[in-house]
Amino acid sequence: MDIERRGQWLRGVLDLCVLGLLRDRESYGYQLAQALDTAGIGPIQGGTLYPVLLRLQRTGLVTAQWREGTAGPARKYYQITDLGRAALRQGGRDWAAFVTPVTGLLTERAER
Amino acid sequence: MNPDEWLRAFAAELHHRRVRPDDARHVVAEAATHLRDGGGDPAVVFGPPGRYAAAIAESIGAPPPAPAAPGPVRLQARGITKRYGRRTVLRDAGLTVRAGQIAAIVGANGCGKSTFLRICAGLISPDEGEVTVTGRLGYCPQQGGTSDFLLPDEHFVLVGTGQGLARGQARRAGRAAARQLGWDAPGDVLTRHLSGGTRQKLNLTMSTLAEPDVLLLDEPYQGFDRGTYVDFWEQLGRLRDAGRAIVVVTHLLNQLDRVDAVLDLTPAGGTVRDGGAGWGGRA
Repeated sequence: MDIERRGQWLRGVLDLCVLGLLRDRESYGYQLAQALDTAGIGPIQGGTLYPVLLRLQRTGLVTAQWREGTAGPARKYYQITDLGRAALRQGGRDWAAFVTPVTGLLTERAER
Repeated sequence: MNPDEWLRAFAAELHHRRVRPDDARHVVAEAATHLRDGGGDPAVVFGPPGRYAAAIAESIGAPPPAPAAPGPVRLQARGITKRYGRRTVLRDAGLTVRAGQIAAIVGANGCGKSTFLRICAGLISPDEGEVTVTGRLGYCPQQGGTSDFLLPDEHFVLVGTGQGLARGQARRAGRAAARQLGWDAPGDVLTRHLSGGTRQKLNLTMSTLAEPDVLLLDEPYQGFDRGTYVDFWEQLGRLRDAGRAIVVVTHLLNQLDRVDAVLDLTPAGGTVRDGGAGWGGRA
């Protein structure tokens, strides 16, 4: 896949993907990066991920606390807020409204 | 750079961007944890410390670097007029720079930027007007200024001797200043074997080494690649924050938001504009 284009798409939705991952459980940066990779979004470097987390925190969509995990060192755990859940729902609707017509156009063209 | 070095450099860059110490500590600790968990080269995982720190500062919404209160006037040039034969190169140009300020001299080719700077440096005399410099003066010419058959270290020793530094001290200070420009000065390469851009780094390093109060730079970045060019402006920012008065000749206008004053020497309607009219405030 065209890496540059993929990067552009990702910039538009990475915050929503992170909110999606935090919907059901709290998590920390490295774990989120792995989960994004597992979900098929691809490897996301720390240099891309943490600025997104900071922006989510600044805008009140997530909160964060430093805590000792069950194993290993203290980590900064992120939790989604009610505001974050609302943003995720709205973002999900907006994404569907955007991607459905795009998919329609692309697949029609391909079949012709 | 190993992870510890990278984290130290990153912390310094955050500090330089005035990210609050509390925020900076958290961000650095989080990056350290991430590197411990995932391994990998921090320069790949997070990118260069400066660039990552800039992204963090923007994400946190840290206040932009507050301009330090400018200090006393270090350089004052008034009513500078210079003629070569019948051609008037400069007419009544003026510039005042205080400690902790960067001034840019801009304008088309041949409008007298270098002449103005050389007059400020005292290398040539104006036909009219006067220049007052308070403190020690450093001058970095457009090119030249380095000696082909000396090692970079020997240049540092040469400049250091002028300030009473011992050889070892001068060498260490020179190499440290060179690293600020992202250059690891080699111990065994003659200057004539350095690339043009690297020779300019040497030139620039020497002009900052004497810790001048007033630093005059005549397009010192020719031959710099983009990364070095960014390092160069970061270095100027540090020198400004340390209270230096800096004048830099440039034809590249995209950095003007980072300077405190602009003197535009472009002739308007065939004559050089009044120096006072060329002033621009900080954005």
